[in-house]
Amino acid sequence: MPTLSKPPTQKRHGTLALLPRPVGIGLAAGGACALAAGIVGLTLDPDRLSFDRVSELILGLGAIAIGYTLARSTPVASISRAKAMAMFVSGWTAMTFVAVTVFIIAGEVETPLDALFEAVSASTTTGFTTVADPSELSHSFRFLRVILPWTTGLGVLMVAMGVLPAAIGGAELLPKRQLGRERQLVTTVPRAIRNILGLYLLLTISLVVGFGIAGMGAFDALTYALSTASTGGMANHANSLGHFDSAAIEWVAAFGMAAAGGNLLVVWWGLRGRFEAVWHSTELRLYVLLLIGGFLVVFLGGDLNASDAAVAIASMLSTTGLYSANWGAGPSFVQAALLVATGIGAMSGSVGSGFRQARAARIALEVRRALRKLLDPHRVGVVRVDGEAVKEESLALTIGYLWMHSFTLAGLALVIYTPELDLVASLSLVVSVVSNTGVLLSEGEITNTVSLSGWSEVVGSVGMLLGRLSIYPVLITVAGFGRWVSRLRPHRSIGAEYDA
Amino acid sequence: MLERRASRRTVDGFTDSSRRLPSTVAHISGLALLTITPGLVVSAVVEFVGGGDAGWMILGCAAIFGVLGAVLWKGTQLGDLAIRTIFASVAWSWLLVSLLGSLPFILARTFEREGIGRWIEIADAIFESVSGYTCTGSTVLTTLPDLGDSDPEIGRGILFYRQLIQWYGGMGFVQLVITVLPALGSRALGFMGAEAPGPTADRLAPRAADTAKILWKLYVGGTFVMAIAFTLAGMAPWDAVNHSLTTAATGGFSTYNDSLGEFDSVSIEVVAQIAMLFGGSNWALHWLFITKSRSVYARDHEFRAYIAIFVLATVAITARLTVGDEVGGFWTALRVSSFNVASLLSSTGFGNAQGAGSAGDFVAWSASPLTVLLLLMVVGGMSGSTAGGTKVIRTRVLAAVSHRTVAVARQPRAVVPVKLGQDVVPEGIVQRVSLFMMAYAALVVGGFLLVTLLGGGLEESLAGVIGSLGNMGPALGAAGPTATFLDAFPAPARLVLAFLMLVGRLELFAVLLMFAAPRRSLRKIRPHRHSF
Repeated sequence: MPTLSKPPTQKRHGTLALLPRPVGIGLAAGGACALAAGIVGLTLDPDRLSFDRVSELILGLGAIAIGYTLARSTPVASISRAKAMAMFVSGWTAMTFVAVTVFIIAGEVETPLDALFEAVSASTTTGFTTVADPSELSHSFRFLRVILPWTTGLGVLMVAMGVLPAAIGGAELLPKRQLGRERQLVTTVPRAIRNILGLYLLLTISLVVGFGIAGMGAFDALTYALSTASTGGMANHANSLGHFDSAAIEWVAAFGMAAAGGNLLVVWWGLRGRFEAVWHSTELRLYVLLLIGGFLVVFLGGDLNASDAAVAIASMLSTTGLYSANWGAGPSFVQAALLVATGIGAMSGSVGSGFRQARAARIALEVRRALRKLLDPHRVGVVRVDGEAVKEESLALTIGYLWMHSFTLAGLALVIYTPELDLVASLSLVVSVVSNTGVLLSEGEITNTVSLSGWSEVVGSVGMLLGRLSIYPVLITVAGFGRWVSRLRPHRSIGAEYDA
Repeated sequence: MLERRASRRTVDGFTDSSRRLPSTVAHISGLALLTITPGLVVSAVVEFVGGGDAGWMILGCAAIFGVLGAVLWKGTQLGDLAIRTIFASVAWSWLLVSLLGSLPFILARTFEREGIGRWIEIADAIFESVSGYTCTGSTVLTTLPDLGDSDPEIGRGILFYRQLIQWYGGMGFVQLVITVLPALGSRALGFMGAEAPGPTADRLAPRAADTAKILWKLYVGGTFVMAIAFTLAGMAPWDAVNHSLTTAATGGFSTYNDSLGEFDSVSIEVVAQIAMLFGGSNWALHWLFITKSRSVYARDHEFRAYIAIFVLATVAITARLTVGDEVGGFWTALRVSSFNVASLLSSTGFGNAQGAGSAGDFVAWSASPLTVLLLLMVVGGMSGSTAGGTKVIRTRVLAAVSHRTVAVARQPRAVVPVKLGQDVVPEGIVQRVSLFMMAYAALVVGGFLLVTLLGGGLEESLAGVIGSLGNMGPALGAAGPTATFLDAFPAPARLVLAFLMLVGRLELFAVLLMFAAPRRSLRKIRPHRHSF
């Protein structure tokens, strides 16, 4: 006779007890980047071997060791969504901390705040830089600027799609079939990580080969491939891809950026021959529509050639930030279209950032439904995405996110102080920061290089962080920290005054 | 009464007694035209008295308004009073009045310039008329006089008419129609809601018609008080009357090139600031303050937020202008920032610059203060005011929705209401506000792309679209407070902006429904084929 027994209960852990694991992973990831950069420096810059390179190696090894120890010492536990978000933010912060330290030690940027801005820009896949001419930097430093976003991109993909789909606040965007068993990337977390890594590496290696065949040198091909696949946008040259003046390189970059801005799951379906699922993706349709429409606008409306136009729209829509020609000198309509494109951003489930295509599609469909209801009050409509009705709670989250995104943009625009920039430049800076694009449009010129005051660098760093982590996790972590602090405050018991 | 009328209706939609066409749209539009007619007559008298040569033309326009209005009014009767028809009626009457309102400008050749065709002149007249009626205050008029100009190019009657149309548009002429149309009954509140700025229309009396009367009385009284205050501050009576009309309406048309900057008077600017803030706040609150409670302002959370925004924006801009030494000292910075903040927050659009590049010419300021002004253009005044913008209350609701989104993201099963202070906002209003703001955002993006496509610059187009939707007046860049929209935007772009002004004044949905409702009405009127 079977005996009734209570199901095993999992031990509940506080956030602080769980924190060492993500921090450890973050430290180890940052350490690995520093170590890789140090090795590149030793290999390619033997004449510039110095204390900095050795420091990078030692710091990298140290961070890996500490991170590994921390990660191993923490229990694996089932956690709530709020804790997952806090852990995600902590891990990212730890990695950026290592990067800032390396940037300061390397001494290739002028001030510690420049180092902070540069490191945050790299590790959020933004691509803004404080360096006027990156080609004068050491190989090691240039490699570090592109391996950091590549690592972040991998981390974002794994967390967003493999480990914790809810963690970056995009759970409401994922189609049901992505969370279900039938067509998802995987059924287990290790297989998810393996498949995501495989796809990401496939894209990166394809780009390295593509850039190599198109005429780039080995180091440039590797760094631009890392920069493109991660939508980081950090370039080795002052005028980005324009340095090469090669249509072949521009086409490779355009296709690479467009692919990097696409949903990895949709790519997976395509590779597995599930074309019906690909065809039904509302988000993909919108993405392709904007890519083609944007290309036609930039190509026909401006004075750029086809490859430059393709780079411009793919770069801005995927939020990469590489450029091959100065579209800032073109007609204002082209500039406006590209700024709007980067505000919308890439597909969900990609390394790209911005408001996201899925959200834009949902908002557009919701507006259409509401207007139809206005015309016919008895109408009962549903918003359909990927052929399936979207739950009202999920729609409400998307609409709420729209307002959070808008308030973030408005707040940053108010707080950032840029007396040296005109209004258009200042607004393009804010949009670019929150979308993690890294392109500044100022006085008819576009550039990745910004020269900001210390205050603006800090505000910009916060903006890049908010954009990269889709706002929710940061706000929830800050709110959780506030609650934790308030709990530390001694409470007065009822009747204490009488006891006194 | 409505029931009795309906019972007299035959199958073809006509009444037995009068055989008048049942068309709410035409009936309301006709009455709206009739309400404008006295204003045109007064303008004609002013033109005659001022020695201008456009008096007969304005009088001719008054006749056109009167005859057409009477034909539409008397030839039709109230028909369908479904909510979409009500919205459509308001929108069509606004469109008709705004378009016909350009007639005096066209006939008087107000926009005649060298090197432009007649069609551009007509387009400019339409732009000015729409800008006037919608209380926007953007202008394409380059021939406004300077203070003390003894031989102005424009007659006083036309100048007065230009000011008066803003006054009509401020409280809304449909609201004026309601006061003389008791047959509307309970549906009158729907008409008020379709025209009044904000998510809901306030009710000050059991009958909506009485509410409309109270608001119009208050409006007339407020305008009168403002005229006296301007006179006491140093304006000539003619200037005081003209500027009080557009201040109460938060319209912003001035009779001078440099707007209020022409007077270079701190006292006039202070009076204007207070009056603009008064016009940009809820008029129902003013009524309650006069009749019921002295603490009504302090208890209203939207009013508190409105004043807080004014103070914070003034402090922020003053600090930035002072630190950057952009306008020459703290007191000048305070003077220009407080004036322009009040002007744009209340969507009035008056300027206090004494020429291009002067301290009050905000387009010469750095990006940071301009960003504050641009955001003020989005927010605008209070609901129930004569101001434009998306309204303070909606911004507050959206902030509360954002807060709820974070809470729900943290705890997905939590049921979190949207609250303003201690009050829970009903979900219906939250959804309406969200829809409005989404449609607004879509219009800003779409309008921005369209205006740049038609040749506008980036800065001008963005501020122009936001300003037009918010009925602000000046934009940024080449369309700033000391310039006109003439150089900044080509004629097609100006017409797009004029359309956006109308959309903004009627808060989006009425304009959408103006095309849907008549189509449905036509379907109903079309005779049905009988099958035997």
